[in-house]
Amino acid sequence: MSPVLITLAAALAVAIPALATAWAQSRIGPAIAASMAEKPELSTTAVLLVAIPETMVILGFVVAVVILVRGG
Amino acid sequence: MIIEMSKLRILGARERLEDVLRVLQDLNLLHLSAPEAIPLSHADLTTGQERERRHLQAALDNIEQALDALGVRDTGAAAAPATATAADLIRWARLGWRVRRETERLSAQAAALDEERALIMKYQHFFSAFRALLESESRWPNATAYHVLLRGREAGTLPQLRAGLAAAIGEEFQLFSQPLPSGELAVLIVVSAQAAGRVERLLAEARVEEIPVPAAYGGKSLTTAIPRMLERLGNIPRELRDVRQRRQTLARTHTAELRRARTALYDRLQALAALPLSGVTARAFVLEGWVPAGARRDLEGGLHAAFGEDVVVSEVSKEEWESEQAPVVLANPRLLRPFETIVGLMPLPRYGSIDPTPFVAVFFPAFFGLMVGDVGYGLILAALGLLLHARSKPGTTLRNVSEIIGPCALFTILAGFLFGELFGDLGLRWFGLRPLLFNREEALIPFLLLAVAIGAVHVLLGLVLGAVSARRHPRQAAGRGVSAAMVVLVIVALLAAVDVLPGAFFTPAVIALLVAFPVLIVLEGLVAPIELLTTLGNILSYARIMALGVASVMMAVVANKMVGAIGSVVVGILFALLFHLVNFAIAAFSPTIHALRLHYVEFFGKFFSPGGVRYQPFGHWTRANSRTRAVPSTPTPRNPRQAA
Repeated sequence: MSPVLITLAAALAVAIPALATAWAQSRIGPAIAASMAEKPELSTTAVLLVAIPETMVILGFVVAVVILVRGG
Repeated sequence: MIIEMSKLRILGARERLEDVLRVLQDLNLLHLSAPEAIPLSHADLTTGQERERRHLQAALDNIEQALDALGVRDTGAAAAPATATAADLIRWARLGWRVRRETERLSAQAAALDEERALIMKYQHFFSAFRALLESESRWPNATAYHVLLRGREAGTLPQLRAGLAAAIGEEFQLFSQPLPSGELAVLIVVSAQAAGRVERLLAEARVEEIPVPAAYGGKSLTTAIPRMLERLGNIPRELRDVRQRRQTLARTHTAELRRARTALYDRLQALAALPLSGVTARAFVLEGWVPAGARRDLEGGLHAAFGEDVVVSEVSKEEWESEQAPVVLANPRLLRPFETIVGLMPLPRYGSIDPTPFVAVFFPAFFGLMVGDVGYGLILAALGLLLHARSKPGTTLRNVSEIIGPCALFTILAGFLFGELFGDLGLRWFGLRPLLFNREEALIPFLLLAVAIGAVHVLLGLVLGAVSARRHPRQAAGRGVSAAMVVLVIVALLAAVDVLPGAFFTPAVIALLVAFPVLIVLEGLVAPIELLTTLGNILSYARIMALGVASVMMAVVANKMVGAIGSVVVGILFALLFHLVNFAIAAFSPTIHALRLHYVEFFGKFFSPGGVRYQPFGHWTRANSRTRAVPSTPTPRNPRQAA
């Protein structure tokens, strides 16, 4: 396969989940910040909720690595 | 680990109940729980006791507020007299009310002085400008003075103002102006008394703002007000000093007594709050509660020494209580104890379940180390940990954090040697540091496999712990065991399929999976296949160890490439240092979050049973237990004389 397509595929594998993660965190962040203002004991939940969408971009990164290693 | 608890029942004559509670409070061992036997009624507070409770609570509120206002820092509970008499309690209530009222008065006085000073300072430049101008005011005994401030762009309209005044009243005025440091223009207009009315109309029509003379400083004319204001400005610091001194005197005189009073009032309130937790009949009382099994003899000995055979202590057999009711105490070896802070961010585990602290103490630093994996960053982290340790007090969260940083730094350094990294590739370039395992910059797939393999071990450990913690429910335990076995079979089949394991393993693994599948559905229900898929997803989630690790090393390598990439070597070194600093900050924060998440979501989800009740023995008040022990509060009159 063309190196350009491989690179593009790897870039998209990271970029699309990164956008999805950013969107999810932009919704979760204000909501959990508002909740923590009323209940500071929710800090652990806040950490978890903000970290959960990062799974998408991390797995996207792993897929990109596999694409580059196998395709390159 | 969660230490074993015994449930005790204490019986005695009803008239001895308050004495027994007093001894139990001294022993500080029994976590009280209301007896559940049906024929017993609870020993509700009498009307007098309820009134006493309300008054003591009001006095305590006064004392807390007074101590806060006096800026008393807590250094633990002060020793209260062994027996606080009713006279003591009344005296303390009055003292608390008096000191609170005095501190409030001093605070209000200080606030008023600060406000006054701020007001005078705000107009200080304005006054300074007018002071010179106003000297001319005395030359016109029958004249009226107007004080005007032209702001910003209005300052350029001074000629128009002068022309307007000349047109309205002819030559019957004098106008002085002086620019202020703020860019505004101070203007003093002096007109004859006959022309005053016309000038006021003109100023109003032109919407020119006249500066009012504050009434508190005397009146109509700034000539008299300004000297008074400046005099006040000179006096205010002395008055503030005086207020501070009076507050210090108040603190010096009363702090020790107020702290003693607070301890005694809390103790008495706790004793009153304990009364409704006792069961009573016409002649006897029953107290029930929990005590660590190892401390049972201490409690029995203490009661026997105080009451002899008058009070009977017996252990409630384990068949009579459910483990969920027992309070929980975590007790771990010294080295593992700091990691209770991480477990403490989650709700307390239930009694009878597994305390995850020992596992967190091993895996959390390991995950952190694998993600950061750099000798240089590890050394900096260790230095920060030592600094934090030196600056923190024993028993505080900061001290625990510093003691968690230690193992994290150690694992980071070890992983740094495994991956051959010292500030990225500087170790290789400067000292010939070779990786003992593999180079993370290049060996991406081996690192990914290592991360997922660690995930498989961690999740399987969680499933096994889940089966162990469900040992009293055989069906549930068997279901978790089958889940763990199926995860192993899936891994074996996959490894055989990609020739990591011999191909002969593939078919038996798949057959075993097909057999285990219906067994799992029978044991765990239709939701079991979804949970199995979730478990496999959990294992893949550990790929984040590889992703964050690679991101960290790439950032470090990019930082090193700054030197030479930019024209000036000095600028390149500065950029490289900045990049390493940013990378270190990310490396300290992001791996912590993700290591926590791997524990809380992927690992704890397999076995952790939250919802435990914290062990809070009935004892004397300390600052530490005041955060967890709520003394019921109701609105009451604050003045003890009114209350009386």
